[in-house]
Parts: sequence; C-alpha cells; structure tokens
Amino acid sequence: MTPQILEIDQLSEGYIILITGLLIVFGSLMLLSIFFKYGVPILLYVYKIITKGRNKKIKDIAIVADEKFTGEIAAAIATAIHLYLHEKHDTENAILTIKQARKLYSPWSSKIYGTQNRL
Amino acid sequence: MKKILIIFSVLSLLIFIRPALGLNAVQTNTESTTIVQADEETSARFIDEAIGGIKQFYQYTGFANATSGHLLMIFIGVVFIYLGIKFDYEPLLLIPIGAGVIIGNIPFVAGNQTGIYETGSVLNYLYFGVVKGIYPPLIFLGIGAMTDFSSLIANPKLMLLGAAAQIGVFATFIGALYLGFNLPEAGAIGIIGGADGPTAIFLSSKLANGVNILADGTVVKNLIGPIAIAAYSYMALVPVIQPPLMRLLISKEDRKIRMKAPRAVSQKEKMLFPIIALILTTFISPSALPLLGMLFFGNLLKESGRTERLADTARTKLIDIVTILLGVTVGASTQADIFITKDSMLIFGLGAISFVIATMGGLLFAKFMNLFLKGEDRINPLIGAAGVSAVPDSARVVHAEALKSDPHNYLLMHAMAPNVSGVIGSAIAAGIILSFLG
Repeated sequence: MTPQILEIDQLSEGYIILITGLLIVFGSLMLLSIFFKYGVPILLYVYKIITKGRNKKIKDIAIVADEKFTGEIAAAIATAIHLYLHEKHDTENAILTIKQARKLYSPWSSKIYGTQNRL
Repeated sequence: MKKILIIFSVLSLLIFIRPALGLNAVQTNTESTTIVQADEETSARFIDEAIGGIKQFYQYTGFANATSGHLLMIFIGVVFIYLGIKFDYEPLLLIPIGAGVIIGNIPFVAGNQTGIYETGSVLNYLYFGVVKGIYPPLIFLGIGAMTDFSSLIANPKLMLLGAAAQIGVFATFIGALYLGFNLPEAGAIGIIGGADGPTAIFLSSKLANGVNILADGTVVKNLIGPIAIAAYSYMALVPVIQPPLMRLLISKEDRKIRMKAPRAVSQKEKMLFPIIALILTTFISPSALPLLGMLFFGNLLKESGRTERLADTARTKLIDIVTILLGVTVGASTQADIFITKDSMLIFGLGAISFVIATMGGLLFAKFMNLFLKGEDRINPLIGAAGVSAVPDSARVVHAEALKSDPHNYLLMHAMAPNVSGVIGSAIAAGIILSFLG
C-alpha cells in the first residue's frame, strides 16, 4: 500500500515541478527579453546623459537601413576582400636573387695536403 | 654504446633468471625429500610452474575476463568513433567518448586500482571532475567566451523560443516518473531534453550520483554515465532527428518566410548583456549559478575588449582540455557491468522522446508567436527548432533546412538567437529542478 501512495505523491509533486518550472523558465526569459527591449535603451540613454551632461543635446546617429543592401551584396564584398587579402600568392616578387649556399668544409681538393709536402 | 647495451642485456638476463633460481631454492627448502630424486622431476616441475604462471597471467588478461557486455560496449565505442570520423557528427565529442568507452570496457580483475569506479585509480581521479560537477562550469566558461549574443540582443523576443523548447525537459521528467524512477533520478533524466551535455552532467552529478540518500532511506542510482551518453549521442544525432519534424509541422509557405536582417548591436549593449543577464537569471534561479555564472563571465571576458587573452584561453585551450578529460571519463564510465541495465535502455528511450518533444515545442511555439506578429516582423517557424540548445548544430540544421525550400533564405544568424537562449533556458531549468529536488 505504501509504495502506491508514494508513487501518487511523487507524480503530483512532479506535476507541480512541471508547471512551476515551465512558468519560471518562461518568466525569466520573458523578463530578460523585456529588459533588453525596454530597459537597456533607457540605461544607455541615462549613461549618455551622465557622461555628456544634461545641457548638451543628445542625438543618436540614426542607422538608416539601406533596402538595397542585401546579404548577397555583403557576401560579394566580403568574398572580394577575402580574396584580395588571402590569395595574393599569384603575384610573386619578380626580383630574383641568387643566394650563395654555405657548404661544409671539405679538403678533398685542397692544395696544402698534397703527396709531396709533409706536415 | 655497445658496452652499455651488453651490460644492460646481461643485467636483464640476470633479473629474468633470478626468479627461476630463487623459486627453485625455495622449493628445495620446503621439499627436501625431492632433492635427491632425478633431474627429470625438477625439470617437469619447472615446466608445470611455468604453465601455472602462464595460466595465472591468462587469468589476469582481458581474454579471460571478457563478457558479452564488454564486447558489446567496445563495439559501441567503435561505432561512436566511426560516426564521428565518417559522418562528422560532433567528432570533438564522439571520438573522445568512443575512445573512453573502449578504455572503460577493457575487462580487468577488480582490486588492482584499474577501473574508473575503483577509488585510487587514475581514471577515478579524472572522473572526480564529472562526479563533483567541476568540468561543466569550465565548459560553460569556454562556451560563453565563444558565443556572440548580438543576434539575441537585436531581437529579444526570440528568447521565448529557447524557453519553449524546455517543455522537452519537463515532459521527459514526467515520463521518467511514470516509468518508475524516483524524483531526483527523473529530474536528472529530464534534463536530457535540454540538449546540453554539460548541463546534463552537472545536474545528474548533483541528483543521480549514487551517493545521495532519499527520504525513504534508499540510495539514488548512479545515472551519470547513461544520461551523459544519451545527451551527447542525441546531440550528435540532431541532424537526423530534427528535419523530419520540421517538415511534418511547418508548412511549405511558412518555411519560406524571410526574416529582416537583425539590427546592428552596439558594443555597449554587448557588454551590458552578460552583466544584466547574469544578475537577472541567477537571482531567479540561484542553483544554476555555477553554469550561468561561468557562461556570462566568459562572455564578459569576450565582450569587454580588455581581456582578449583570457577569453582566448577560455575558448580554445581551456575548453579543449576540459572536453578531452570530460569525453574520455564519461566514455569510460560506461563500464559494462554498471552501464548495461534496464535503466540505461529506458533513459535512451526517454532521451529520444525528449528531443522530439523539445523540437516540437520550439516549432509550435514559433508558429504560435507568428499569430501575433505581422509583416516583416514575422519569424520563420523553423528557427523554433533551434531552441533546443545543441549549439551550434541545431542552428545549422535549421539553416540547411530553410535553404532546401528557398535557396536564398539565410537563417543562420536568426537561428543562433533561440539557440543560445536555449542554453540559458536549459541552465535555468536545471537550476529549478535542482532547487526543487537537490
């Protein structure tokens, strides 16, 4: 009998956790999104007033969205810049210099060690 | 050099011969009667002993101790590695875990401090970071340092999609209760639906660690291994699980909805985000502090602009080190005699269902949100599927799926918003479950 009761108890507690948990998750993320929608702009505005003084006129430079500037154009520009910066290996330096290679010393043809002269 | 080799080989020969001589000496002392007997007998005894030694050695090898469970698990480990290499399903996770599964299932004789569950063994010390929940916050630090929250800041309402997908967590929780798991175990199983490996390990190490004692005196089962393996393997299978659900629930016209480009976000907003989000979320759910605190701390390191070195370490070296240790030890914790149980099978079943429910929750909630939005503000319901965390795989799946129905509809940036809010959401959910049941 006891396990039966225990199980029912567990399930009811489970449903309580289900409901409250979902509500809290939704609530907290909702709070976060509302704060970022309304709270943060206010904060930034207040910050501007504090740093620039009340008297100066505060004006945001409005970012005007260019309707014609699509993702494709951005991608094309980015590709062009990337190609320009990273694929330069085709234009190589045209000046050729011949470096003298260092060789290890070898006395095979040295004139000081002949058969005639003795050390 | 030659001399050294000769001396070394002579020494090693002596060392090898000595036990044989020593053994014989002992034998002669104890069995003084046999010493007068023929040489044949001593040589026969020597062979007997050698065979006995080999037999004893054989008793210690894996061949003698292997069970079908071990072989099955080793096969699973190989499959994990194969999936990681061949299909590129989260290879950074599957290859360490697969190797860990093989390491953990090499049969051995207990009592020599070899296995991961034997106190004092090296693997046990490495596993400590999993059992005590040390690795997950460090992973979250790295995730924070590599995540760009700007798409979320630009469009805060997408955060709700991350919350909607957490239905999967709570639905699985109830499902686990119905299958007979007790409350803490069910809570730990439920978090698989959060599709977030570190969170799943963190919560299961707190709730289903095999140490805690329940009110009625029973000890909770140790489910860290099965839960972590289920979470990681389903995360790797997101590209298989999600697309059919998307096609099932979202109509063709809805899949073609184009969303307007997110607005530019200023650096100040990006800096404010981790601080504000940290304070708000942890005030609501303090139990999630180790995860959310580290996540937003890592993000602050990235966005502050002054601590680029720290952010760089957190998102590259540190997270790599922890991923290696976490992957191998979680893999090795699947020792066959502990892992192959009915519970593990149930957890795997529940895990699959939880991913399905979480994806459906996100998709349907996105459709629901669209009822209130008009014109340009409408969202493409596909991005709801990215609300299950699985960063960044599910966002990529959404992007690929949208491209299939409209080759010029790039949703990746939009899908990242519910994706990262899913991480926050599942950490909050973990905190809530922990505060109820911990």
